[in-house]
Amino acid sequence: MATRHVAQAGRPLMNIVRMKGVPILQQLEIEECLLRTSSDNWCIINDGADRPNIVMGISGKPAELVEIKPVLEDNIPVIRRFTGGGTVIVDHGTIFVSFICNKDDVADVQPYPRPIMSWSSLLYSQVFEGIADFRLRENDYVFGLRKFGGNAQSITKNRWIHHTSFLWDYETRNMSYLKLPKRAPEYRLARDHLDFVCPMKDYISRSDFISRTIGAAGRLFSVESTEFEAVKSSSNVNFTPTSRLLTNQELEAANMIAI
Amino acid sequence: MLARSIFQKRSCWRSGNVYRLFGRRLPASTVEATEMKPTVVGHFSTAASTPIKSTFDCSYKLYNNKVHYLSTSVAAALERVDNIIDIPLAQTGEGIAECELLKWFVKVGDEVEKYQPLCEVQSDKATIEITSRYQGKVIQFLHVPGDIVKVGETLLSISVDASQVPSDVGKSSPTSHPTEPSKESSDLSKTQKGETLSTPAVRNLANQHGIDLNDVPGTGRHGRIQKEDVLNYATSIKNKPAMVNPSSDKPTLEPEPIVQHMTNESLYQDKTLPIRGYQRAMVKFMTSAATVPHFHYIEEINCDELWKLKVAFQKQNSDPDIKLTFLPVLIKSLSMALTSYPLLNSTFNLEKYEVNLKGSHNVGITMATPVGLVVPNIKNVQPLSIFEITKELARLQKLAHENKLTPEDIRGGTITLSNIGAIGGKSGSPLINVPEVAIIALGRTQKVTSFGDDGNVYPVSLMTANIAADHRILDGATVALFCNEWKKLIEKPELILLHTR
Repeated sequence: MATRHVAQAGRPLMNIVRMKGVPILQQLEIEECLLRTSSDNWCIINDGADRPNIVMGISGKPAELVEIKPVLEDNIPVIRRFTGGGTVIVDHGTIFVSFICNKDDVADVQPYPRPIMSWSSLLYSQVFEGIADFRLRENDYVFGLRKFGGNAQSITKNRWIHHTSFLWDYETRNMSYLKLPKRAPEYRLARDHLDFVCPMKDYISRSDFISRTIGAAGRLFSVESTEFEAVKSSSNVNFTPTSRLLTNQELEAANMIAI
Repeated sequence: MLARSIFQKRSCWRSGNVYRLFGRRLPASTVEATEMKPTVVGHFSTAASTPIKSTFDCSYKLYNNKVHYLSTSVAAALERVDNIIDIPLAQTGEGIAECELLKWFVKVGDEVEKYQPLCEVQSDKATIEITSRYQGKVIQFLHVPGDIVKVGETLLSISVDASQVPSDVGKSSPTSHPTEPSKESSDLSKTQKGETLSTPAVRNLANQHGIDLNDVPGTGRHGRIQKEDVLNYATSIKNKPAMVNPSSDKPTLEPEPIVQHMTNESLYQDKTLPIRGYQRAMVKFMTSAATVPHFHYIEEINCDELWKLKVAFQKQNSDPDIKLTFLPVLIKSLSMALTSYPLLNSTFNLEKYEVNLKGSHNVGITMATPVGLVVPNIKNVQPLSIFEITKELARLQKLAHENKLTPEDIRGGTITLSNIGAIGGKSGSPLINVPEVAIIALGRTQKVTSFGDDGNVYPVSLMTANIAADHRILDGATVALFCNEWKKLIEKPELILLHTR
């Protein structure tokens, strides 16, 4: 892996890893490994998950967030990830973009949730400039009042990750696996999923979004491509990830408690 | 006020030894109770050799015929101890008022390094590692994973050596350098004014060396002062020749006389003691307790039968780890009396004008520990036997001594018992552990003379109990009736057996 931190014109180096269809659990494991064991900056882009997965935040409770019975019946994997935040259902229509940075390489951004969130919104405002009415509303990326991107973070001693799941497209029926969360942003105004979210595909193509995102990153960092295979192989060494798949027994037990 | 005038009219209390006790929930004051001989958790009976945190010294005043402070009576025997610093949950971001504690990375008793991750919390969308600003030893956790912790609430306590205690102690770092966004922004604004550009760690290092950062040339990016710059500057000023007094041809005074002169002067100088750790918590609790109108009811209890019971129990006890004392019997009898007078086992909510009668009798017992005073409580005393209370008391004492009490041990108390008599003194004047409504201080049991029914003089063992009650909820009659009930059970302990189910 690249160990140089500073390359062109004094900008810190960032490794860009492009993936397609990598299972979300594997992606989360790689990200957490890079966060905790690497000293480089990374931008991970996964163009679509392999299959529908429900991904909860680190302290998510299935009974409160997920319709457990249909999830069990339809064998939808439920993952608890290592970052905070809420619950999403991801599939091949989801594009994931994750930034893993040394806080010293983004020195003008204080390593707290809000400043990092604001920093990310500035980056993405460049991506959507001239394309859509993009803004950061509370902790979500929205076009107008409809959410198309959800964020989560993990901040450690010297590094942080800010990762986003973008709804380029989604299947309506998948939304029915999720409950209306107890904690919701104010602007949601009790709307159900279909009235609250919107697909990016109405505004931008997948390839344009990804290339513009890399371009925006390139204005802040000196970007360099890294092959996914190189990241995948080195991430398995001596690291135990926090993100995990919940077992059917756990989901059943949660369902029993809820009843 | 009525309560105070009653107290002041009792001339015996003015002439006797009177303690002003500060009962508090977490942690609190005084030692675990014993009887005649204060063998306790050991911290005060062995005061000659046991280091006692200075907060305890400041917590008590002994009013004797001559007013003096407890600290002066044992000061010569006390060793200087480390400082205890409360580490609060620092502000992790604008608008974030609370976080969920996810996990601890350390255990009680662990040594931690500066900037070592202590725990992980979650605020809304982010998991955040909280690192330590200090090098020290973990003394106590104030929360367990799953707890929602408000910003500013204490997460844990760490003992550090005195050299690390800065003026703005008590802030944890969500990350290694900035302590909170507002502080960081003020640091940045400072740098924008052209003053020193440095991290808190470097500033701390400069403080330790007594160096003004404005004098240190920075070699980092944008003139940032780095650790090496401070160390190099410290070395350079050490090597400078001694200054000659410009106003005189004579050289400066010899070092030895200057030091002697300063030492003599320092004896008469004012000193400022920062309030830290458990004492800081005590300040908060006592300030809260000061808003409660206290009513004090004082009674003398004959402990002769209690003494005989204790001897009988000791003869039957085969477990060397269990020490049978008065206290379990006092606790059990207290619980039985509370059954008849449940108002004393309640909490008061002023905002709602509600009294919450607590179903469980969770009796708090004040204990002294090496790092301060705590009040763990024995949960749900009603169904416990005296032996079970004894074992639970022993468990809590052991944990308190090892500084391993958990928040669950300390949480949820409904009434507090303080055996200040284990240290000494005829009685105490305790302050209530808000939101409880009553606290009882037990003085030392003393052999005094008393008239029998036949008119002859007999020796009796008398213990003085001072019940402090919230006068908004409890009136004198209720407390007096309760105390009569309790006194009856203590003086005739066979009644405990009669009424036990």
